[in-house]
Amino acid sequence: MKKLTVEVCVCTSCMLEGAMHIAEAAESLKKLRTHLRMTLQPDIVLSSGIEKNRHPEQAPLVRINGELMKCAHSEEVMEKILELSTKKKSGK
Amino acid sequence: MKGIYTPVTQIRRRVFEEIARLAFEGGDYHRIEELPYRIIPGEVANYRDSVFKERAIVGERLRLACGLDVSTADEHVPVSSGVTEAAIGEMVYRPPLINVIPFACEACPTEQFYVTDNCRGCLAHPCVSVCPVQAVSLRKGRSVIDREKCIRCGRCRDVCPYQAIVRFERPCAASCGVDAIESDYLGRARINQEKCVACGQCLIHCPFAAIADKSQIFQLVHALCGGEKIIAEIAPSFVGQFGPFASPGRVKSALKKLGFSEVYEVAVGADLGALAEAEHYAHGLDDTHAQMLTSCCPSWSVTVKKFFPELAPCISTELTPMVATARLIKKEHPDARCVFIGPCAAKKLEALRRSVRSDVDFVITYEELMGIFAAKEIEFSECGDLPDSDEATAGGRGYGTAGGVAGAIEAVLREKYPEKEVRIDRAEGLRDCRKLLALTRAGRRKGYILEGMACPGGCVGGAGTLEPIAKAASAVKKFAEKSREPNALGSPFAEENRKRKSGRAE
Repeated sequence: MKKLTVEVCVCTSCMLEGAMHIAEAAESLKKLRTHLRMTLQPDIVLSSGIEKNRHPEQAPLVRINGELMKCAHSEEVMEKILELSTKKKSGK
Repeated sequence: MKGIYTPVTQIRRRVFEEIARLAFEGGDYHRIEELPYRIIPGEVANYRDSVFKERAIVGERLRLACGLDVSTADEHVPVSSGVTEAAIGEMVYRPPLINVIPFACEACPTEQFYVTDNCRGCLAHPCVSVCPVQAVSLRKGRSVIDREKCIRCGRCRDVCPYQAIVRFERPCAASCGVDAIESDYLGRARINQEKCVACGQCLIHCPFAAIADKSQIFQLVHALCGGEKIIAEIAPSFVGQFGPFASPGRVKSALKKLGFSEVYEVAVGADLGALAEAEHYAHGLDDTHAQMLTSCCPSWSVTVKKFFPELAPCISTELTPMVATARLIKKEHPDARCVFIGPCAAKKLEALRRSVRSDVDFVITYEELMGIFAAKEIEFSECGDLPDSDEATAGGRGYGTAGGVAGAIEAVLREKYPEKEVRIDRAEGLRDCRKLLALTRAGRRKGYILEGMACPGGCVGGAGTLEPIAKAASAVKKFAEKSREPNALGSPFAEENRKRKSGRAE
């Protein structure tokens, strides 16, 4: 199965704003892969280098397949992952 | 909700970060009045009926984070009132530690049973048959519970074939293992301070963020900025709390970057406690001390003293790891001040005890510390990974998880007294702790080591932690396993401590 790269910034500001919860939410989708008919496997990457400058106003930062999400929430991230996953499927 | 990042968590953490930043920046502290607008921006309310109310509640949280008292809606107390006076490098707060912000409380109903829309008004309606007080009846095709008659036994819920009857309890009251949550004249939660043991579970379980504890971050940052020699002692559960880049060595490095001159692991004091308690168990049990209760969890020991006073003499008299480590620090650095960093709200009260006040100068939680790191813009990825000093053993480092304390004592006993039969029982969460204590009072735990942890999972489940319990427990165990010495008998401080004790006895 092809991978969908989900980068989650885990700098101090992002950690304080719930970055690990987002990473766990994205990770949890793997268990629902069959239910959700996902065609892509989320590959969660914890990173401190998404944005070199400090970004407390934008925390937490998440990048999915190169697309940056600022002030991300777990529900938005899961929605985005599923959206990209189903897109791939319908495109086939 | 522990382990799930919600808007409640977000507000709590932003308050810590903003208060720490305010203290670092110094200047005119009246600008604290602006902080509610930074934390709750915009003109539209997010979760309550009014954005003004949301900001007023945040204002109270900011005041509590400065160590100040909570105020009520019928008094004029500006957010900045008393803040300048609290801007000192000394502990300022007074009990009560855990506070309900009255106007933030939604006055959730107390314990009740409800019939939901799942009810089919079935022919059998066993809910009616099993009710001992005829509180359940069938009306217009569905079951109805008469609240005046209901004695909340739950029989109707247990027998319903459609799971149509549910029990509702206030989340704060449900999380309180000592039933300290009562109601005020408006039906809002009120903490009975006579019963409260400050475990802090209510403050993480209130979905409306109406409960908060007082903090010392404002004063600690002032002390750090004052250039004093300040030493951190960090509890065994710190491992894995600050993110994937925050290895134990990097956390210590980050603390030094923050201004701490040294960092000690509280596991050092835990080792000393395990050694002493193993000796006590091997030789000290008698008719009046028929079992040995561990002493490291302050909420557990206060629960024993408040609700089972006849068992109080059985609590180990050894110093708690926090105090043992603090005394070691003060002995080695008499000119230094000592800060305990841990998962626990109750340690803040322990540090106020007369016998402890001179040992521990400040107590902050991991969550509060993370707020300080964020305010100071300290990144773990940019901190050096200090090597393990091997000052603590696997036994002491395991204290942060449920079973770890008794396990550390047992490990010492197994090696030193292999012939000794070791009997252990333990409980986590104050409701289960009380059940265990009831059994003990009935004489059914004689000859046991009894470990009590007020928080589910042990210290890793404390109110001031950042990570989910299972994940944190796994990180603590892995770190403990890497220790050079497997149990407290290998502690480098053990011999020195023994000599000091024997010298004192002479």
